[in-house]
Amino acid sequence: MQVLLNTGSTIDEGRLAKGGNKYSEDYKKECAVCWMCAADYATLGSPEKVAVTSRDGKHTVAVYPKVTEVMRSGQVFIPRSIWANVVVEPDTFSTGSPRYKGSPVIIEPTDEEVLSAEEVVLKLYMGGE
Amino acid sequence: MVYKNIICPVCGAACDDVQVDLDTINRTIDVQNACKMGNAKFQEVVSSHRIVRPTIRENGKVKDVSWDEALEMAADILVKSRRPLFFLGSETSCEAQEVGLHIAEYLGGVADSNATICHGPTVMGIQESGMVGATAGQTKNRADMIVYWGVNALESMPRHMSRYGVFPRGYWTKRGRFDRTLITVDPRRTPTATASDLHLQINPNTDYELLSALFTILNGKEPHTSIEDITGIPISVMKQMVEMMKESNYVGIFVGLGVSSSYGKHRNIEMALNFVKEMNNYTKCNIGALRGHCNVAGFNQLASYLYGYPFGVDFMKGYPRYNPGETTTVDLLREKDVDAAFVMSADLVNHIPADSAKYLTEIPMICLDIAPCPSTTAADVVLPGVIDAMECDGTFYRLDNVPVHFEPFTDSPFPETKSNEETLKMLFEKVKAKKEA
Ligand code: SF4
Repeated sequence: MQVLLNTGSTIDEGRLAKGGNKYSEDYKKECAVCWMCAADYATLGSPEKVAVTSRDGKHTVAVYPKVTEVMRSGQVFIPRSIWANVVVEPDTFSTGSPRYKGSPVIIEPTDEEVLSAEEVVLKLYMGGE
Repeated sequence: MVYKNIICPVCGAACDDVQVDLDTINRTIDVQNACKMGNAKFQEVVSSHRIVRPTIRENGKVKDVSWDEALEMAADILVKSRRPLFFLGSETSCEAQEVGLHIAEYLGGVADSNATICHGPTVMGIQESGMVGATAGQTKNRADMIVYWGVNALESMPRHMSRYGVFPRGYWTKRGRFDRTLITVDPRRTPTATASDLHLQINPNTDYELLSALFTILNGKEPHTSIEDITGIPISVMKQMVEMMKESNYVGIFVGLGVSSSYGKHRNIEMALNFVKEMNNYTKCNIGALRGHCNVAGFNQLASYLYGYPFGVDFMKGYPRYNPGETTTVDLLREKDVDAAFVMSADLVNHIPADSAKYLTEIPMICLDIAPCPSTTAADVVLPGVIDAMECDGTFYRLDNVPVHFEPFTDSPFPETKSNEETLKMLFEKVKAKKEA
């Protein structure tokens, strides 16, 4: 399903990031999460995990879904973090700032493991070093 | 011992009323008045995960080294690089950023900071059309209407509403929240939107269109009906918003990344700024950015007065150049246009898109930080950071570009350095010695 990705702060994302706890389980539980509305979640088949893929298909990240009333259909939210940024569009429209808000992404059910922040760096960015 | 009026070095609010009780014997710290985010950072003074020793990566293995060895290797990387990137993050002082800018100039590299991935487009919008701004005290004392556009203030700058925006009792707003109307424009129903009197749940990427329609209404014209489908907001609600603003005595608008990071970028900001100018024909109205990172405004000020440009300053040609989209961090890394990086007080790997982050982990990287994070994991040299406003003094610029001098309540835990400024000065000496050898 193609949706628009919004990313941004949550208070616990801020608390954990500023407290130097990016490698904690709590940080993963707070940030490796894709917020969506109940209708979109049902359309996906109510999966336990979802894969979020960038529009060009180059980058995918597995996260946990979270159903919430604050989202509208066709829009998802991932707290500002390494998981969200894997799929944020790197194009800056000649401003230097990527599209943290409103990047088109594809979401689908997955069985892939949800990686920790450290594993994302090591496996997705550093090629498994 | 209890210390009062400590400045919080976490977000652009730079709250100056924090009270700290530091017990150096039991290594505990009790913090009053700070929000959850601020409190978490104050705990770093005594935390067990603090980076306390410099490390280097050798043949793929990370090992502890002395400060001198780490600085030697860092200088080696920078001197050998043909075009190093200096990402001078915002969680440190202007004094440290200044040394970083000078090293970048000396080596013909590029200097950038968090603004580039934050309110860079806002700064560009201001360059296009100028800004009707004000200090935070003006909003506190005068504003009877606050508009949060594309920002969830309660979670990104948790005390903005209580210190500057909505709840404080000011000279002409004696009843605090009761004297103010609050409007939020956001595609999500955030806690800030829930606390508002009016929430415009706009469709993503349509800020420019909504601002244009409000501008049209303000000019006494009727926007085309297609605007309702595009933005998801009925024209009647737009009219209501414009009327509410016109009827107020003083409107304070705060924009967030929702405006500057979505489709339209600096053009959204330009339109917002023009709308504010026009609104001043009816009532007093000003606009400001909620700057999430602590001293992100400081880098813009500093780079502007030293080199003429607010971010993305490229010294490759021997004089400063600024061309967002070419000389800015995400673009330089995506296009593989730099060959080494120095990242200070910012977790760059965490905050940039995959294509750029992946390349950053491939090139030699030096990282100065206080706690383990994706950037330190990928770095070849890690230098421990000193926490500004807690362990050393210096200057920050607040969200409204007011400079704030901060004093520490304890000392740097490292005998080798008193501050990040001093660490950078030591690095600069080594760079010069190698370059001129
Ligand atoms: S609002 Fe910002 S400056 Fe104030 S206490 Fe919270 S994190 Fe610190």
